[in-house]
This record gives sequence, C-alpha cells and structure tokens, in this order.
Amino acid sequence: MLQLDRLTCGYGPFRAVTELSLEVPDGSVLALIGANGAGKSSTLMAVAGHVAVMGGRVLFDDADITAEPARSRVRRGIALAPEGRRLFPDLTVQENLTVGGYSRSQRAEARNVERVMALFPRLEGRMKQLAGSMSGGEQQMLAIGRALMAEPRLLLIDEVSLGLMPTVIDVCYAALARLRDDGLAILLVEQSTQRAFDIADTVCVLESGRAVWSGTAEAAREDPALVEAYLGLAG
Amino acid sequence: MNYSDLLVQGLVEGCIYALIAVGLTLVYGLLRILHIAHAGIFTLGAYVGLLLTNETGSFAAAFVITVVAVGFFGMAFYRLFYEPLLDKPPHVALIASIGLFVAMEEIYRIVFGATSISFLAPPLKETVEVAGVRLEEGRIVVVILAVVLIGGLAVLAGRTRIGIAWRATVSDAAMAESFGIDLARVRYINFFVASALAAAAGIMVALLLNQVIPTMGGVPAYKALAIIVLGGLGNVKGTLIAALALGVIESFGTIYLDDVLDRDAIAFAFLIAVLMIRPQGLFSRR
Repeated sequence: MLQLDRLTCGYGPFRAVTELSLEVPDGSVLALIGANGAGKSSTLMAVAGHVAVMGGRVLFDDADITAEPARSRVRRGIALAPEGRRLFPDLTVQENLTVGGYSRSQRAEARNVERVMALFPRLEGRMKQLAGSMSGGEQQMLAIGRALMAEPRLLLIDEVSLGLMPTVIDVCYAALARLRDDGLAILLVEQSTQRAFDIADTVCVLESGRAVWSGTAEAAREDPALVEAYLGLAG
Repeated sequence: MNYSDLLVQGLVEGCIYALIAVGLTLVYGLLRILHIAHAGIFTLGAYVGLLLTNETGSFAAAFVITVVAVGFFGMAFYRLFYEPLLDKPPHVALIASIGLFVAMEEIYRIVFGATSISFLAPPLKETVEVAGVRLEEGRIVVVILAVVLIGGLAVLAGRTRIGIAWRATVSDAAMAESFGIDLARVRYINFFVASALAAAAGIMVALLLNQVIPTMGGVPAYKALAIIVLGGLGNVKGTLIAALALGVIESFGTIYLDDVLDRDAIAFAFLIAVLMIRPQGLFSRR
C-alpha cells in the first residue's frame, strides 16, 4: 500500500531522514521507533505531504505521490494524527470531526461520527465542547477520531502515548487494535516500544535519519538488545 | 446633547468601525498580514457606491452592486499583491500594503479628482425618532447593516461547512489542508468578505458625510489598526467590542475631552494605554 523508496527529506538545509526505504502492506501495522530526533516524525510528515522531499519517492497504491499536495493525499486515503495532536482548539469536538471529514461528503459525515463514537464513547456528549478544553487523553482520542473521519485506508499516527496516563494509553491502543482488525493499515511512530511492538506487524528502527534495524515485531520483541542499543533506556 | 444621544451616536460610529475593523482582523487572523490597504478598499467602496447611486438613482441597488463588486476586487487584490508575498517575512507584505494604500489614494485623486464629490440627491436624510432619540435614517441603516452583515458572517463561520473550514484554517492551516481544505479558496473567501464589509462601511460613511474624498481612508486606517490591536489581533469578538467601545468613548469624548484631546486622537491614547497595561490586547487569550 505505502512504499518509501530511498526517501530523503528535511527542513531547509537540514536533513532529517536519509535514504529511508520501507513498506506498509495493505492492512498491516508498521512501528517506526527511535530516539528523539531520529527522524520518525519527519518521515510521517513527509508521507502526509508536510515535509519537503529532497530525494527518493513516496508511493501509495503504486502511484507516485511524492509531489502531491497534502490536500490530495487525504482523498487517496491517507490521514494523519500528528505529533502534539494539533487539534483545532477553538473549534468544538463536532467541528473538529467535520474538518476531519471535509474530504468526504456531508452524508458520510454522520455515519463516520457514529463510528468514532463507537470507538471512543468518552467523546459522546462532548460534541459541543471546545477541543482545547478537554484532557490530554480525550484530545488524543479526538485526534484519532478526526483522522478516521477522512475514511483512511492508511492511518499515520505520531506518539500516541506521549504525556498520557496508562489507562488512557490502553484505550487508545485498544482502539488502534480494533482498527487494525478491521483492515486499516497503520504507520505508527512511538517512543514507548513495548506497546508499539505489541500492535505492530513490522518494526523499523531509525537512528540519525537512517534505518538501522528492521524486521518483524516478533523478532523485535525477542531481541532485548535492540531497544538498549538504539533507544538507550527509553523503552 | 444628553447621554442617550451621545450613546446612540457612539454606537452608530462604533458600527462603522466594526464593519471596517472586522475585515482587517480577519485578514490578520488568517495570513498574519496587517492589511493597511484595507482602508483604500473602504474608500473605493465609497466612490463606487456614490457614483453608482448618482448614475442609477437607486441607493439600494448601488449598495448591493458595490458591496459585491468590491468583494471581488478584494479577491483580485489578494491574488495580485499578497499571494506572491506569502512566503516572505510578514513585514514585506506590511510594507507592500502601506505602499498600495498610498498608491490607491493617489489613483483616486487622479481618477476622481482631488476635491470632494457628493450625492446629487442625498438619500436617507429624513430624521426619525427612536426611543426618544432623533436620528437620521442613514444612521439607523448603519446599525441594521452592521447587525445583519456581521450576524450573517457569524452564521457563515459557525454553522456552515465552509465556515468551519475557514476557522480551522485560521487555527492551523497545515492541518486544515491535510484534511482536504483548499487554502486558496479560504483565502479568497476571506478577502471577499473583508472587502465587502469595508465597502459597505465606505458607502455608509459617504452617505452620512455626503462627501467622498481620496484621503477619507486615512483616519479609518489607523483607527481600525488600533481597534484590532485592542481586540486582540485576529479575534473577531474582541474587535467588535473594541469598535463599539471606541465609538462610544469618542462620542462622549467630544463633549468631555474636547479641550485636552482631539476626537481622532482618542483611539491612539486608548491604544497606548492598553499596550502599557495589557500588551496582548484587551481580549486576547494568549
């Protein structure tokens, strides 16, 4: 479904990712892990169309989308739940979801809101609340929900667990597992490796913008040296 | 003049300020551009509205045509002058905007003449009594227009899909775009609305003063700037409150402050005071 072919990207003269190749097959979950500044988020944002690509290609369904604006990528089925969530804080929960579904019809909106509510019952009854006034966990749920409104086939999600209480992280990961079981492909960026390994099919470890390890999640789980070698004790 | 007269006159002025300043704050909120040339668009509205009224004999028809036409002019203005500067630091667009404002005044002087022009048959000049205050019809129309146009804007921004997309773009343009919102379209709508509101204000000022001159945008330019800073740059509600407050304060000021401070200086005195006490503006959340 998604293929990165020797992707090099960054900001201005600064290179964040160098010649990264990876593949997310239909309906599978790839966890991109690595220390702070390893290039995980930049990779994700390049797939979404928000970071300048300096070399290599981004392929989605075998089409080269490297030069496509972010706006058309969402129509192809790529949706983003970015680092820091980046909700629209002055908009209500309902309005955030409306924006999420902007690339789809208004009729689809009602149906997709129901799907999101089924996934995150905590958002129900909060539709009129301003997104910025909710707790961090609720905001993360809304960020995922907003992305789902676009009816994606590939979900890009950054640092699901950052700054959240363990119980809330459980809710979010349970939701992601359900989405995976329904056939959604996920490209997941995480610093907390254990949870990432549990949900992922494949794992790719980045260090200084380069892939230094990749393999199945199973192999990653059984290799305790991996986490220590590349991530310090962050795992 | 008694208090209620002063209050009503102040609110009428405030409505005019609001019509001008809301557009300015919308442009700032979306693009972080201080659109000084907005006052030039206000003057354009005054000229076009007055000349069309004199030509057609119908103020209402002239008003509608002018507001729509100047709205489209605003879109073209954005496309020609601001869009090419979006990647540049904000002061580049600011300098361009000041230059454009000066150029517009000169163009009006060349095209329409340096002296004032007036309505052949000034409309809405009858006075009527509302709640014990005698008021020119034109002033009542100003208030109705401000309520209808800004109320309409509130409905557009709050209830429609494109309005929600607009506010999302103001909040985080990159995120809005990644959900499929066409940023260029939002910017065009923004300039249409801002310019149409300024044009409406321009025609109404032309009507109340029964004259249009090339430099009539000068005072509104800096007052609107003071108002949007007081209202918390980009904050529409704050801008409305600041506009009405300034109108009323000026109105009372002409009586009580006349010996110390010129009417048109009050906005600046107010601005300086607020910047000293609350530099983020009266109604800013940041």
